[in-house]
Amino acid sequence: MPEAAGVEYTKVAEIKGPLMVIDGITKASFDELVEIETAEGERRLGKVLEVGFGKAIVQVFEGTTGLTISGTKAKFLGKTMEMPVSQELLGRVFDGLGRPNDSLPDPIADKFLDVNGEPMNPERREYPTSFIQTGVSVIDGMLTLVRGQKLPIFSGSGMPHNILAAQIARQASVVGTKEDFAVVFAAIGVQYSEAQYFKRSLEESGALRRSVLFLNLADDPAIERIITPRVALTVAEYLAFDLGMHVLAILTDMTNYAEALREISAAREEVPGRKGYPGYLYTDLANNYERAGRIKGKNGSVTQVPILSMPADDITHPIPDLTGYITEGQIVLGRDLFRKGVYPPVNVLMSLSRLMKDGVGEGKTRSDHMEVGNQMYDAYSRAQEVRALAEIVGRAGLTGVDLKYLDAGDMFEQHFLKQAPDENRALDETLGRAWDVLSTLPEGELTKIKEKHVKQYYKGK
Amino acid sequence: MSSNSALERTIDKVLSQKEAELISKIDSAYQESLNNLEASRGKLEAERTKIIESAKKQAENLKRQIVGSSRLAARNQELLMIENAVNDAFEEARKKLASSGGKDSYRTLLSSIVEDSVSSVGSGEVLVECNKNDAELVRKIIADLQKKNPKVQARLSDQPIDVIGGIRVKSADGTMTYDNTLDSRIERLKPLIRKNIAQMLRGEA
Repeated sequence: MPEAAGVEYTKVAEIKGPLMVIDGITKASFDELVEIETAEGERRLGKVLEVGFGKAIVQVFEGTTGLTISGTKAKFLGKTMEMPVSQELLGRVFDGLGRPNDSLPDPIADKFLDVNGEPMNPERREYPTSFIQTGVSVIDGMLTLVRGQKLPIFSGSGMPHNILAAQIARQASVVGTKEDFAVVFAAIGVQYSEAQYFKRSLEESGALRRSVLFLNLADDPAIERIITPRVALTVAEYLAFDLGMHVLAILTDMTNYAEALREISAAREEVPGRKGYPGYLYTDLANNYERAGRIKGKNGSVTQVPILSMPADDITHPIPDLTGYITEGQIVLGRDLFRKGVYPPVNVLMSLSRLMKDGVGEGKTRSDHMEVGNQMYDAYSRAQEVRALAEIVGRAGLTGVDLKYLDAGDMFEQHFLKQAPDENRALDETLGRAWDVLSTLPEGELTKIKEKHVKQYYKGK
Repeated sequence: MSSNSALERTIDKVLSQKEAELISKIDSAYQESLNNLEASRGKLEAERTKIIESAKKQAENLKRQIVGSSRLAARNQELLMIENAVNDAFEEARKKLASSGGKDSYRTLLSSIVEDSVSSVGSGEVLVECNKNDAELVRKIIADLQKKNPKVQARLSDQPIDVIGGIRVKSADGTMTYDNTLDSRIERLKPLIRKNIAQMLRGEA
């Protein structure tokens, strides 16, 4: 703690957007937590962004609305922002800054952890290789999530990414082991109804007792959103690496996080990068995403599913673009499928799980899993080509095999991809459905699957 | 006569043919009914199994939900009770601290609090505030401090503050305040001490 920790200053020089400039500072540190008291006695939190020449620039998490230059006090607390952590956090609901939001007292802490965390030491990272079952066929079958992976969902405005996120949170499990599994859910700038949906959904499925929720609502100050994923990931790291649990961290919506980052950057008059986002957007996102993984010698894992809505469904927008560089694949939701009424509307041809190959197969899931996944990609891709061709030449102009692919494409969407939001499919059922789709094709078309698997599972004879 | 017997034979033949036809139809209808019954039995059996499976699944979900929320409710109740007990413990501690004014240990503590607080606010003139009971003691501590370090420019405020102990130091222009009262020290340390009290209450300490 710095020598002058706990000193309160009243000389506010300027208030600008979410920032406050305090004058006459003798000692303050970068990232130091600041407690701000308004003239009316309301307390807010902030952190030091810059110090020098007797001034400190403080970012006020709850926003500066209602703050005045005279009458506002800022107490420098001599520590960075910390989150009290213990096993008691499971089953609790917090706001975006980690304060209880469930009418219960502050958690009794085992320890206090700096929310800024540290990206994992690459030398100590362990390569992720174990399967997480989400109960969602398209994810388990073709875009398998692996413990310690970071696999984002790229969505668009109005699409059911939050329903999918809640379904994953409810259903996710580590099959065949007795290891503890937990979900840390960070809602960043979501609507009240969505927050309530998440909470109710976890309560009703009994999954709340193994979950920790952080809810930053759309009408909460945007600046708070900077902290929400950090607080959530701090808790996830504690549960994983101190308590040895396998933690699934769902962060939705990272676009709102990036917007908050842009707001601060603009207020600091930094040179803007693409679409006004700060030049350090990549680094900042990486600081959050790289907190996922496994550590050598430790039992637990942090798996991240960040969700981001692409403005105007533009996958080249800086947020999905930069996210894609950092994460290990992506699940893309497609507008066309959504319009067709297919849930979850996952556009598999644009989606990929880079770590799937290491988390599936003999001894992990099922020996035919990877081959079936590849063949399904192949079949659906061909079906899409045939659909395009049929629009030009009509069905009558298609060959017999093309017509089979057309049927396989329809069956893929209706029988494999489509499922109810409360339907939890075991992996065997998922692969069974995949074989139903593949069995509509002639046996000779299954070129990506070993003969022994075709003999065992093909139903088209 | 002969035409009559021919007619009767024809009628008999037609009747027997019809009879055979009807019997065959009845037989096949009977067989068909049996087959339908058998098929329906299979279907019904499958339907029944499906309904039972789905009910079992629902019951399992409901059980999980009820057990989960009951456990959570019980845990939350425990948290509230512990919090009440922790607050009671702090209240008791405050009372004890408030009545410890005359003790040597408090004098030593107050002396170090004054020294820390004055140096935290920095150089220049500072104003020291304390409660009515501690005023004389603080005045003496300030005098001792100025003897040790003549650069210290501190004076005791005429207005006492309503705290259980400790002091508050302000810079002369009022722009800097360092709250080192026992009340604020308790608040600062509360999150750390709560764990120890909770452990004692749970019999873990």
